Amino acid sequence: MEKILEVKDLELSFHTFAGEVKAIRGVNFDLIKGETLAIVGESGSGKSVTTKSIMRLLPEHSSEFKNGHILFNGKDLTKLTDKEMQKIRGKDISMIFQDPMTSLNPTMTIGKQIMEPILKHRNVSKSVAHKEAVDLLRLVGMPKPEARMKQYPHQFSGGQRQRIVIAIALACNPQILIADEPTTALDVTIQAQILELMKDLQKKINTSIIFITHDLGVVANVADRVAVMYGGKIVEIGTVDEIFYNPQHPYTWGLLSSMPSLDTADEKLYAIPGTPPDLLSPPKGDAFALRSDYALKIDLEETPPFFKVSDTHYAATWLLHPDAPQVDPPLAIMERMKKYPGSRYYEGTEGGTY
Amino acid sequence: MAEKLLEIKNLKQYFNQGKPNEVRAVDDISFDIYKGETLGLVGESGCGKSTTGRTIIRLYDATDGQVIYDGVNVHDKKSKKDLKEFNRKMQMIFQDPYASLNPRMKVLDIIAEGLDIHGLVKNPKERKERVVELLETVGLNREHADRYAHEFSGGQRQRLGIARALAVNPEFIIADEPISALDVSIQAQVVNLLKELQEEKGLTYLFIAHDLSMVKYISDRIGVMYFGKLVELATAEELYANPMHPYTQSLLSAIPLPDPNYERTRVRKSYDPANHNYQDGEEVAMREVTPGHFVYCSEKEMKSLKAISSSK
Repeated sequence: MEKILEVKDLELSFHTFAGEVKAIRGVNFDLIKGETLAIVGESGSGKSVTTKSIMRLLPEHSSEFKNGHILFNGKDLTKLTDKEMQKIRGKDISMIFQDPMTSLNPTMTIGKQIMEPILKHRNVSKSVAHKEAVDLLRLVGMPKPEARMKQYPHQFSGGQRQRIVIAIALACNPQILIADEPTTALDVTIQAQILELMKDLQKKINTSIIFITHDLGVVANVADRVAVMYGGKIVEIGTVDEIFYNPQHPYTWGLLSSMPSLDTADEKLYAIPGTPPDLLSPPKGDAFALRSDYALKIDLEETPPFFKVSDTHYAATWLLHPDAPQVDPPLAIMERMKKYPGSRYYEGTEGGTY
Repeated sequence: MAEKLLEIKNLKQYFNQGKPNEVRAVDDISFDIYKGETLGLVGESGCGKSTTGRTIIRLYDATDGQVIYDGVNVHDKKSKKDLKEFNRKMQMIFQDPYASLNPRMKVLDIIAEGLDIHGLVKNPKERKERVVELLETVGLNREHADRYAHEFSGGQRQRLGIARALAVNPEFIIADEPISALDVSIQAQVVNLLKELQEEKGLTYLFIAHDLSMVKYISDRIGVMYFGKLVELATAEELYANPMHPYTQSLLSAIPLPDPNYERTRVRKSYDPANHNYQDGEEVAMREVTPGHFVYCSEKEMKSLKAISSSK
C-alpha cells in the first residue's frame, strides 16, 4: 500500500468582494497507488476546489492556501513555483474535465492537441509524438485513428470528444489522473463505455484515479474508496462497501436515501431539507447539523473529530462518540446495513457484531 | 385513468425537409396521455424526446400528424383567441433554470407575465397576491418576489420555473428534463414538489428525462424513444421488470446503481439495430404484446415476444 499523494490539513480560501469564502476547511486524505478514490458531495462542497488545488489551477490573485500541504513524491505542491508546477501538470498528474465540449480547443486539430503534452514534457521528435498520438487514439477506442488526427473537435460526438480528452490526459502516463465529473454530460450508454474504458486503462498503466462525481451509481461502479465531502470538509471516508453498506454520517445517510433505487416503491422520496451552508460564514460545529434530523446539541457547538469505525473507515459525527445516544438510521439505510457483516443490523450468519 | 387528455397520432417533425440534410427528429409516433397521469419519455440525446415535447406544445409546427387535446387538434389553424386559451391549458418547465429566466426581470414580473397576457388579474394588488401565493406553493416566500433570478440557487430557480408554469392554472405540464441540472439532494426536493402539486391540482405531466431511475420513480407509464421512433411503451413497473425491446434492455443495463455488489456483477448489453434483420416489406409497428405493453416490432418478433412472456 504505497501512498502516492498525501493531502494534510488543507485549508483554502477565496477572497471575494463579499469577504473570505472558506472553500476548504481542513481536508485530509491519502491516495494509494493504483486505486480509485471517489469524492462525492453537492455543488459547493469543495470537491472540485480540492482537486483544482492539487493541480494548482485556481486563480492566484483570489485564492490562498491558508494551511496544510499536498505531498506528491516528497514535494509539497502548495510550495512549488509556477515553473516547477508546469513540469508536473499534464505529466505526472493530469486531469479530465467535465465538459468535453469546452475543454478542447476548437481551432486546433485533435492530433495537435494530443501531441502537445508529449512534445512539451518529453524530449521526442514530432514524428515520434505523432505515432504515439495515433496509438493513444487507438487505445481509447477511436476508429480510424490516422484519419481522425487531422480533424477538429466539432467533427466528433460528445462521447468521442471525452475519449480524446482522456487520450490527452494519458499522453505522458500520469501517476495520478483526476477526473472531474467526466461522464456527467454524457448519456447513460456512452457513460457506461467511458467508465469501462477508464477501468481498462487503469489496469493497463496502473495509475491512481481521483474521481469526482455526484452520481452515486457511478461511484458504486468505479470506486475502491469513497470520500464524502460537505461544507468544505470530508465528513466520511471508507472503502466503497463501508460507505454504501455501513454509512455512519447523517449526511451520507441523506445522500444515499435521496436517490431512488430502481426498486423503490411509491412512497415519498427522501429529500435533504434546506440548502448547503454558506461558506462566507461557515456554521459553528457540524456544518450539516442545521439540515440534519439527527443533530445533537453538541453539533451546534463543536466540530466533531474523525471517529474510527474500522482501519479504513472514519466518520466525523458526534453520533459515534461513546456517550452519544444510539439512534436508528433511516429505513433505507438500515436495509443497506443488513447486508454488511460489520454493522449492528447485520442479518447474516458470518458472526458480525457491532 | 380512463379519460384521454391528449392523443398524439402519427406525429412527424422533420427539419430541413426535402433537403439533403433532412433530419427526421420525430418519425411517426403515436401515443395517448391520460388525465392525471405522468407519462415519462426517455432516450439518449438526439432521440427526439425534447422535439416531441416541443412539437406537442407548438413551439414547432408539426410536419405531419395530429396532437389532439381534449378532442381538438392543436395543429389546426385556429383563431388567436383559441390559441391563447390553449396556451393557458398547456405549460412547460424547461431544463436549464439559468437560461430560462430573464435576468433583467424581477421574479414578480417573471411569474406574473402569464397572468398579464391572459388577463387573469385585475389590479396590481391582486397580481402581487397571486404571485406570493404561487411562491408559497413552490416553497419560496414573499420576500423573493422583488429579487432577480441571479440571486437564487439552481434548485430555487427551478422552483420559480414551476411557479411560472402554474400561474395560469394549466391542466397539462410538459417538463423537459426539469431536474438534470440540479444536485442529487435538490433533485429529490423538486421531484417531491412536482408530485405534491399533481395530487393537489390534478395535473397531467409529460416528463422528459434521461435519468432513468428518477423517471421510474415519478412516472405512471414510460415511453422509450430511439432515433425518432417510439420503441416501447408500458407502465413504469412493467417496463423495468420486463423490458422487451432490445434497445430498452440495453438502456436499462447501462444504468449504474448505488449498490457496489450489484455493480460488480452487472453485465451491459449493447444494442445493434442490424440484429433485427427486418426483411423488405416486413411491417414494423407498435404492437401490443401484453395488455398495456407496446413494443415496436415486426409480426414475427411479436410472436416470439408473446411466447417468451407467456412462458414466464
